Amino acid sequence: MQKRSRRRPPPPTRRLVLALLAAACAAGQDDDSGGDDSGLGDGDRARGAILYREHCAPCHGLSGEGGVGPTLRDWDRGVASLVATIDQTMPTQNPAVCTAACADDVAAYILAELTGDACTLGQAALAPRQLRLLTRREYDATVRDLLRLSPAAAGGPCGVDADCELAAESCVAGACAADPCGRHTFIFSSAQAHSSVHVAGSFNGWPATVAAGGWSMEHVPGDNIYYTKRDLPSGAHTYKFVIDEADWIPDPSNPASEPDGFGGQNSLLQLTCDGDGAGPLFAPARDFPVESRPKGFEYDNNAAAGLVTATHVDKQLAAAAEVAELALTRLDQLLPCDPLPDPAACADAFLGDFGARAFRRPLSPEERAKYRDLILGEPDFSAGVGVALRVMLASPYFLYRSELGEDQGDGGARLTPYETASALSYAFWGTMPDDQLFAAAAADQLRTPEQIEAQARRLLDDPRARELVATFAAQWLGVEPLRSASKSTNLHPEWSQELALALIEETRRFVAHVVFDGDGRYGTLLAADYTFLNSALAAHYGLAAPPGGDFALADNGPDRAGLLGHAAVLANYAHSDQSSPVRRGLFVRERLLCQHFGTPPANAGGVPEVDADATTRERFRQHSADQSCALCHQYIDELGFGFERFDAVGRYRQLENGLPIDPAGDMNDVESMGAGTNAPFTTLPQLAQILAASDAAPACFARQAYRFTMGYLEAPHDLCGLAAVESRFAQSGYDVRELLVAIATAPSFTLRR
Amino acid sequence: MIFPKRQNMSVKTADSAPPSARHHGRRRLLQGLGLAAIAGPFLHLARGRSAAAAPAKAARVIFFYFPDGVVGPSQDGEPSLWHPTGGEYDFALSPQLEPLAPHKSDCLFIRGLTMGPADQGSHPGGAKKLLTAVDGGNGEGIDHYLARTVGASAPFRHLYLGAMANAGNASGDKFISYPSPGQTITPEDDPRAAFELLFGSGVMGQGGGGPDPTQVTVIDGVLDDMHALRARLGELERAKLDLHLESLRELEGRIKAGPSGTCDDPSVDFSAVTGDLYDPAKFPAILRAQTDLMVQAMACGLTRVGVLQSSNHTSELIMSRFMGAEMYDPNFDMRSHQASHYGPRHDPSKREYADYLAQRRWWVTQFNYLLDQLAARPDGEGTMLDSTLVLLCTEVNDGNTHLHDDMPFVLAGRGGIKPGRLLDYSGQRHAGLLAAIAQAMGADLSAYGDTQTPALTGLLA
Repeated sequence: MQKRSRRRPPPPTRRLVLALLAAACAAGQDDDSGGDDSGLGDGDRARGAILYREHCAPCHGLSGEGGVGPTLRDWDRGVASLVATIDQTMPTQNPAVCTAACADDVAAYILAELTGDACTLGQAALAPRQLRLLTRREYDATVRDLLRLSPAAAGGPCGVDADCELAAESCVAGACAADPCGRHTFIFSSAQAHSSVHVAGSFNGWPATVAAGGWSMEHVPGDNIYYTKRDLPSGAHTYKFVIDEADWIPDPSNPASEPDGFGGQNSLLQLTCDGDGAGPLFAPARDFPVESRPKGFEYDNNAAAGLVTATHVDKQLAAAAEVAELALTRLDQLLPCDPLPDPAACADAFLGDFGARAFRRPLSPEERAKYRDLILGEPDFSAGVGVALRVMLASPYFLYRSELGEDQGDGGARLTPYETASALSYAFWGTMPDDQLFAAAAADQLRTPEQIEAQARRLLDDPRARELVATFAAQWLGVEPLRSASKSTNLHPEWSQELALALIEETRRFVAHVVFDGDGRYGTLLAADYTFLNSALAAHYGLAAPPGGDFALADNGPDRAGLLGHAAVLANYAHSDQSSPVRRGLFVRERLLCQHFGTPPANAGGVPEVDADATTRERFRQHSADQSCALCHQYIDELGFGFERFDAVGRYRQLENGLPIDPAGDMNDVESMGAGTNAPFTTLPQLAQILAASDAAPACFARQAYRFTMGYLEAPHDLCGLAAVESRFAQSGYDVRELLVAIATAPSFTLRR
Repeated sequence: MIFPKRQNMSVKTADSAPPSARHHGRRRLLQGLGLAAIAGPFLHLARGRSAAAAPAKAARVIFFYFPDGVVGPSQDGEPSLWHPTGGEYDFALSPQLEPLAPHKSDCLFIRGLTMGPADQGSHPGGAKKLLTAVDGGNGEGIDHYLARTVGASAPFRHLYLGAMANAGNASGDKFISYPSPGQTITPEDDPRAAFELLFGSGVMGQGGGGPDPTQVTVIDGVLDDMHALRARLGELERAKLDLHLESLRELEGRIKAGPSGTCDDPSVDFSAVTGDLYDPAKFPAILRAQTDLMVQAMACGLTRVGVLQSSNHTSELIMSRFMGAEMYDPNFDMRSHQASHYGPRHDPSKREYADYLAQRRWWVTQFNYLLDQLAARPDGEGTMLDSTLVLLCTEVNDGNTHLHDDMPFVLAGRGGIKPGRLLDYSGQRHAGLLAAIAQAMGADLSAYGDTQTPALTGLLA
């Protein structure tokens, strides 16, 4: 072996690598994975796992199941042959990358963990113990529940809006409810009575009168105010108040303004929403750093990537102070006792309730003493509560949800009842457990699959599950970035962030509807002949606007089918000025079928030049003409061409550059690449049927939901459990709700190693 | 019912700070104090000072990253059009580097370095190795190594600012900063939030009075819980918590030290940074604000290690929307990655090629601006440029071939290096450059990366 010249390099850096090495050494001692006796060669399988993911998984699959390259799970030619093959020929694009020790390590990993029956692996077949940092959305939802700020909990009785906190709440069905994100309240205080006050601005065309479209402000005589609530898109807006349809004045309560060009000032309003549609009232994590998503993991909640940097700490502490400040204004609701007679007893009572909810488990006696001291250490009880709250909210016990479990005596661990309660609430609601889950944990009623299933079904029946499933779908489909996507101003002048947000909202509403109001079937997500439209979306699609203009269920027309026809998907997997068969093909392969590709070879071409005399299909022909490109692109482009009826913003088109479009696509090798099957289609409804009828697409959906729930990319140790989950999903007729229950009741949900 | 100031929507105004009520310090400074206004008087300091005044060690380092490579060797074998031509002291800048002419004598132009064979030919492979010099990014980045060694005493050990770097829910392999093997962090893309982080939390002089006692109590309480939890953890999760612990200690240090900055009036022009931070037309203003902030933070002694990441690799950034730039064209969307695939030859008649060249010049112009700002600020006997190292870098060599050989690195500054030269390190690993930068910063690092490459020699003379 001529190439075997490099020596195994010393470990690069400290921390995780050292930890991995230590773990690897320990593993070597414990289960004798080391020497040649095992038939695995002398490689280091822990190191091999890292190398495998980097260099081999793109073609052979994360678990050796195969992809562009063949499966490895049935390798039966022994270790020497495997090492030699890797050393001399792999990876095919660049065999020099993995030689010598690398080949030994990878071979050891493949033989130890990828070949054979995943269900016989025993202890190794368990997910690792982990700490899961709350994501921004989880943090915000959690503090809202912790402070009992959610509309259902906070809503005092009301008759009119003015009975509520007018700037942020409305009176809905007799209770104060938080306004959704994007709803702005204009308030004008004036002791005088006016015949009319209205808002005129960049959002409504600066009308001089109410009749011309000015937003009339309602008078609340008792409070001496005029107000109106309006839904506004994110972005900058300028406006004035118009008194008696004569006097134009800037908003006295808004210090931000800019010159109006006439020697006066316009008030300036800058709005940003989280983009998840109806959103949080109180969102102190809004400025936390963006979550890092490892390649191939499409969700915001990857446990390993949840690292706390100095920026996190700074913002977490600031947010903790902010939450504490708000909590102190609600102390009458959060404090179960009067501190005056016996401050220590009241502190204990507070910690027994609020403290346990913050840490999502009861405090230990030491913790209780510590936090009691913090409360009583301040001259004033409520100030002490404030300090204790700030510590709690920056404590790792609040910031991470623990999946460390309790030792089972066999080297494995099992989530505690309280950890299980959190695992359930974050899986189904994206927030902390409610009182019933806490009660079940306290009574040790979260142990058997039946007990967990009963809770899972209860959680699924709550509206919060709708939101969570919609969020999962938006991340699974990858459409969230659309809100900041740019489109060609020449070709698509109608494109706006407002339209993008509406498109994402369409997808969220549609998925929530199918899963919770419709038949719940995965196939319906792909093939439904309906969607949700408001008037702006109806105009975008060229479909009839729903009555009233608000989002409503509507026919999606003959050319579209389910999610495949959503303009959010079609526009997101396109460039600013043109469609993209590659991105759309990859979308189906990677997100819908869980089939992955390696990185393109050096010298890979980019997007072919724009050519006004050619169709996109013609421009991309190079990919199939060039052998090295065709290796992967035969699976990408032939499929992606089937979307060519839809332009860069997802609108249907008859012609491209005045030329007729050939919409023929081929969903080849739908079950596994290399199989050599063909499935031609010319419309999206046909493609939807092909996918819905396949085994691979629903199995991939199960895998995606599993990743989102578990917070890591599945590894070989998950395959056995995943197969059982997929089988339950299939038995249910691919009912998404049953899938979610199956994941929660699988052993992998609560067992760790 | 009382509601918090921060509600479900943030109301940001063009002339005031972010809505948070939690910091009160320097908000007024956000109001239209253009940086140029204070930079002007010092500009003369930048010229004509003696190189002999340069310190033996660099006090700070900035990694300035831009996406999608340069016009390097073409697919058909035409030679690189990036590197200067000529001898060590007598060389001419290429058209791509021409915008650096004002600082030619402040730069070391380095050719020939390779990042190694792993994932040769891919953008993500290059981004992973760029600062880690480890295959697959499975190592700690040099920026983090420096942050916890020579940078550890600064109030902020590490400052990672971005301009549209988080665009499109970027996956982890689009970020170049690795605090732990295989794990990236994401940069702060919002200049206002970055300003708030750096200057809003009491680090900068808020008069005497010492540390806020409540904050100290809070951090002590949190540390207590951290230690208790850590004792229960296995190796992997302990490594994760250790990073958290170090981050907490950094903040603790800042708070216990009290105001420790050494300048009084940080000011950055945010007037053009409003609304959607991912509108490509705003990119130039955002990058400029982040550049100003980076310089400001270093001028104030807040940090010694900075990473400025523009966009991310295979960038969809529509650079033809940069008003006033050479490649500005409101009628045609030319994205960075689209342009980078200019085809097999250096063919100036191709729109992609012409745009790609213009885009690369634009990045170099921004780098030149950063050097201007450093040179405009006095530091000891000279300027900040004398005592700061700045590395211009991108993840591949040529945008069309994606190769990782003959990488386009430019290292500016004077601390610990002798600039104004063209050096050729053909075939050597860039790990040696990262190690040499660390040594120039005074770090005790003899070799770096998975090949344990020794520090390059010859940077100093």
